[in-house]
Amino acid sequence: MEEKKKTAKEIIESYDGPKLRIMEVCGTHTHEIFRLGIRKILPENIELISGPGCPVCVTPVSFIDEAVMLALEKQAAVCTFGDLIRVPGTKMSLGGARAEGGQVKIVYTPLDAVDYAAAHPEEQVVFLAVGFETTTPGACLAVKKAKEQGLANFSILTANKTMPNAYHALKGSADAFLYPGHVNAITGEEECRRLALEEGISGVIAGFTAKEILTALAVIIEKSRTGKSFFVNCYPRVVRPEGNPAGRELMKEVMEECDTEWRGLGVIPMSGMRLKAAYRDYDARIKFALPKIEGRANPACRCGEVLQGKCLPSDCKVFGKGCTPQHPVGACMVSNEGTCSAYYQYQL
Amino acid sequence: MCVGLAAKVVGVKNGMAVVDASGAKREVSAELLDELEPGDYVMVHAGVAIAKITQDDESETDDLLEMLS
Repeated sequence: MEEKKKTAKEIIESYDGPKLRIMEVCGTHTHEIFRLGIRKILPENIELISGPGCPVCVTPVSFIDEAVMLALEKQAAVCTFGDLIRVPGTKMSLGGARAEGGQVKIVYTPLDAVDYAAAHPEEQVVFLAVGFETTTPGACLAVKKAKEQGLANFSILTANKTMPNAYHALKGSADAFLYPGHVNAITGEEECRRLALEEGISGVIAGFTAKEILTALAVIIEKSRTGKSFFVNCYPRVVRPEGNPAGRELMKEVMEECDTEWRGLGVIPMSGMRLKAAYRDYDARIKFALPKIEGRANPACRCGEVLQGKCLPSDCKVFGKGCTPQHPVGACMVSNEGTCSAYYQYQL
Repeated sequence: MCVGLAAKVVGVKNGMAVVDASGAKREVSAELLDELEPGDYVMVHAGVAIAKITQDDESETDDLLEMLS
């Protein structure tokens, strides 16, 4: 009689091999893993580490300070995704800037900011472009559309980031990565495959439903048994091997790589994106001659270590006390994708 | 901001698509995907459709577990 195949849950629950450290790179994975109760079925020898895949969380304090300056001193209408509003800057958040009379508007998509600029030619409109390869094409589309429409009152403040060099910076932090499926929807499989083949960095691309996360973890467990580095695309219904070539072409046309600061990780060479020379008229830093700002985070906040998996949110002295979702001290408590927010919501 | 929204395409025009996500309709950019047609399912991020969804998660995960055995 044929032996009944194990389910993904059974593979995970019965794992009795050496300790396995798995880093979920994407903040949405972190939250879904908590929300679905997946941590509760993990045996003790599987450790999940939350990585730096929440774009709000890795955006440095200086970026918030620049945005506050645009709203208050340059009188720009600052358009942003909602998650950035409450991230603390050195002196204040964007919410604080709004309370002091600055124009800070929440948009669903960068394209809404272009529409706002077209409808309000008397205002200077700046979109805060944060995010990884998933959201960067949207910012590029916005800039192209503004140029096509001849809008002189639209620009973006870039803090866009790319993941591959962050994987290098985090090499050794985990035995395998749960790669962020929607970043790979743009970038495809190639880089992850190369990391496994040439650099010994293992991981699987994972989707976001319960079945998909459990299966991705089961695949990591089974592949780890071989002792060799591995890569598997566990989200093929969304991630094509080639990713989204049009999205990558668009990014290549409008932006170029640059060094950039990640909160907690410092400056990672060539891990950021800025506008190319042909689009510099849409670069808010140039347009408003923003000075170099050295942001200062609250010294009690340990978001930087949390983002590298070096400590748990609960190891931080202010977690759950001075720092809560209602009154966040650090970025990881602000965003719905943040690790501290997930621990607060599901573990306290 | 990185939360993806799975939605069904109900119309495509001039590089934009009207999508239906559990009854809520809105217009999103369709410029990054070729040959999008009404009835297709897409993953939407910040107002931009970034990928077609080709199957459900049940058959996807069944295939992966089959590969392991």
